[in-house]
Amino acid sequence: MPPLKYLTIYLSLLVALILMILPLPDGVQLYRPNWVALALIYWSMALPKRVGLWFAFFTGIFLDTSQGTLLGQHTLALVVVVFLNMNFYQRIRVLVLPQQAVYVFVLLLINQGLVAWVEGILGRPTPLLGYFGAPLVGMLIWPWVFVVLRDVRRKAALS
Amino acid sequence: MMNLLQARGASLKALFLVALSIAIMVVDHRFHQLEIVRTNISLALTPLRYLVSLPATGGSWLSDWVTSHSELIAENEALRSEGRILNARLQKLEILVEENARLRSLLGSSRKISDDVIVAELLSVAQSPYRQLIEINKGSSDGVEIGYAVIDDFGVMGQVVHVNPQSASIILISDPEHAIPVQFVRSGTRSVAFGRGSTSQLELRYLPATADIQIGDELVTSGLGDRFPPDYPVARVTEIDEDRVRGFVTVFAEPRARLDSSREVLVIKPRQ
Repeated sequence: MPPLKYLTIYLSLLVALILMILPLPDGVQLYRPNWVALALIYWSMALPKRVGLWFAFFTGIFLDTSQGTLLGQHTLALVVVVFLNMNFYQRIRVLVLPQQAVYVFVLLLINQGLVAWVEGILGRPTPLLGYFGAPLVGMLIWPWVFVVLRDVRRKAALS
Repeated sequence: MMNLLQARGASLKALFLVALSIAIMVVDHRFHQLEIVRTNISLALTPLRYLVSLPATGGSWLSDWVTSHSELIAENEALRSEGRILNARLQKLEILVEENARLRSLLGSSRKISDDVIVAELLSVAQSPYRQLIEINKGSSDGVEIGYAVIDDFGVMGQVVHVNPQSASIILISDPEHAIPVQFVRSGTRSVAFGRGSTSQLELRYLPATADIQIGDELVTSGLGDRFPPDYPVARVTEIDEDRVRGFVTVFAEPRARLDSSREVLVIKPRQ
């Protein structure tokens, strides 16, 4: 039975999910960062024992349902991202935030690429801007995501 | 050694989960067994959708609450005069409806004039260049079914693609996967309007170069395909693109419905 303090992780992912379905105006839509991927990257970096591949899998299923995408589409992308993160997090954790942000940009780009790849197979090509816009915004807000989630983690005494 | 084994275990697990994701995608795309999973998770997420619509709902409630007395009087006055005008028009409409029904019975047509509607509110949106979905707060318990047409007070918005007990997903006419049979009001030319992933434009492809089309022409549903009831406004022509080489015309039209800002929508039950 997971202790109550791990609720923090689920709550933060829930908030990320809400941010993903919050209505936005048409033009800004393309630049909506993948909040769920950002949160997942943070938690799998901070608590790799706790937040692993299965965690990514189920988060992805929820994201797919709420986004109306093919079941498994975001799932695949998130599993790959968390897997890559599991291999690199020890080296990345010690970097300063701007350098981390560049690494996060690469992960988000891979995530975006995999989702867009499936869309492409289904015959719905993604415009170029849609490809780079969201990961770029994700990179720019990573330092804030990191600081906020770190404070949350410390408050909840998770380690 | 231990580390190596762990690393290999993680890789295998990742590989397994990736394969599982792909398998789920294939099943979800080809068959419909996963619909039940989707419905259940969607049901669990319904509170989130209400939460998301809360700021907008709260905002309109707040603005209602703080509206001043004089504004209310002015609004009341405006509404009353609008009501009078509408009433006058309605009288005319009633006569027309009666006349129409009489003519139809003369012709032996059995089509009903008015449609049953369900009023619903927007819960959340999932819009991207390759997907234009909205979620509404009425579901199968309110009588909504897959395939029902959805309109707002200006025109056709889309159709129901997925139903949960308390909510339903609507695919907008602007979704790249959506196509709606339409007819030009002025010339009667029939065509199909495709979504382009933008809420401000629909596309009508491969019209003959000789077709009688002008900018500003109104498009209504043609009723073909048995999905959308006929004669609801869909879009207005904004651009005509002639391809002289191939002899085709591509027409772009702006949807009449406010796809990105309507909060109240009507679900139309199809005629029997």
